[in-house]
Amino acid sequence: MALFVFWIFLSASFEWTHLGLGLIFSFAVAWVNSGHSPFVPKFRLWLRILLYLPWLFYKIIQSSLNLSRLILHPALPITPQLISVESKLRHHAAVVLFGNSLTLTPGTITAEVDRNNLIVHSMDKNDDVAIKQIETKIAEIFKDEDPDL
Amino acid sequence: MKTFLFCVLVLLAILIGAYLFRVLQGPTIFDRLLGHNGISTKAIILLIVMGVYFERVDMFIDISIGYALLNLVGALAVAKYLEQKGLP
Amino acid sequence: MDILFIIFIVAGLFFLIVAAIGVVRLPDVFSRSHAISLADSLGAFFLLVGIALHEGLGKNMLKILMVLALLYILNPVIAHATLRAALRSGLKPWQKETP
Repeated sequence: MALFVFWIFLSASFEWTHLGLGLIFSFAVAWVNSGHSPFVPKFRLWLRILLYLPWLFYKIIQSSLNLSRLILHPALPITPQLISVESKLRHHAAVVLFGNSLTLTPGTITAEVDRNNLIVHSMDKNDDVAIKQIETKIAEIFKDEDPDL
Repeated sequence: MKTFLFCVLVLLAILIGAYLFRVLQGPTIFDRLLGHNGISTKAIILLIVMGVYFERVDMFIDISIGYALLNLVGALAVAKYLEQKGLP
Repeated sequence: MDILFIIFIVAGLFFLIVAAIGVVRLPDVFSRSHAISLADSLGAFFLLVGIALHEGLGKNMLKILMVLALLYILNPVIAHATLRAALRSGLKPWQKETP
């Protein structure tokens, strides 16, 4: 269904042949890939994730200004290190969202994920404060889901 | 307006040169892979700016979507292969 | 409208230039990937939003925003795959030498 909406966005034409082809192909692809993703988030969860995105964007701007100051500094005062984060998140999708937003934020990159231990490469000394903030936000989003990890 | 867009195009091409330096001179193979990823992101942006410059945005955007998907498949394939094989 | 467009594009170009300087200057793979993620997240965001404002409301704006969403989803995946390959093949991150 979502793939059919995507097809309409891409082709942007409303003739009958295009719509019929799009219908056939989107349902064929959905049928081939079915049984593959067990987690479909509910509507309230989508709403919370959408409300989470502007806050994440604010964090991205803040940390990227910090990182550009580090790069343009003539003495290059960086202290790269590997941090091992053990998160308290008990959900597959929560861990996926956590790692993805850590990688999207400049200054921290997820290098390895094993259930809920993450190895994060960070660029500055006080990046773990930001990691804790993002983790508490995501735990707040997923607070009334059944744990499955 | 045309002149400003042309300056943006030239500047993007010079930035691609900086990434190309990293690709040609990187000490390990992962540097080259990262440089390739950066070059393809710049190429996507370059295609869209070029579409605005020639006033044919609708055609160039489709090309850039295809380029982004191809970039994903290629980079993931090389990264998976190197992960199995180890550092050459 | 044109002033806003120019401001957005100049901001995006600033972040792209900083990222290119970082790619040339930084010492190893792990820190260079930070610079590339900086370029992808903010530089591409400002440039593409500026162009979408210039195009105005319509089909093209929707498609440009879709390219932006695609970049935001795909680039962390690529950076994570590259770094995981680098880490598993036994590459050590660069440390500052303690005198």
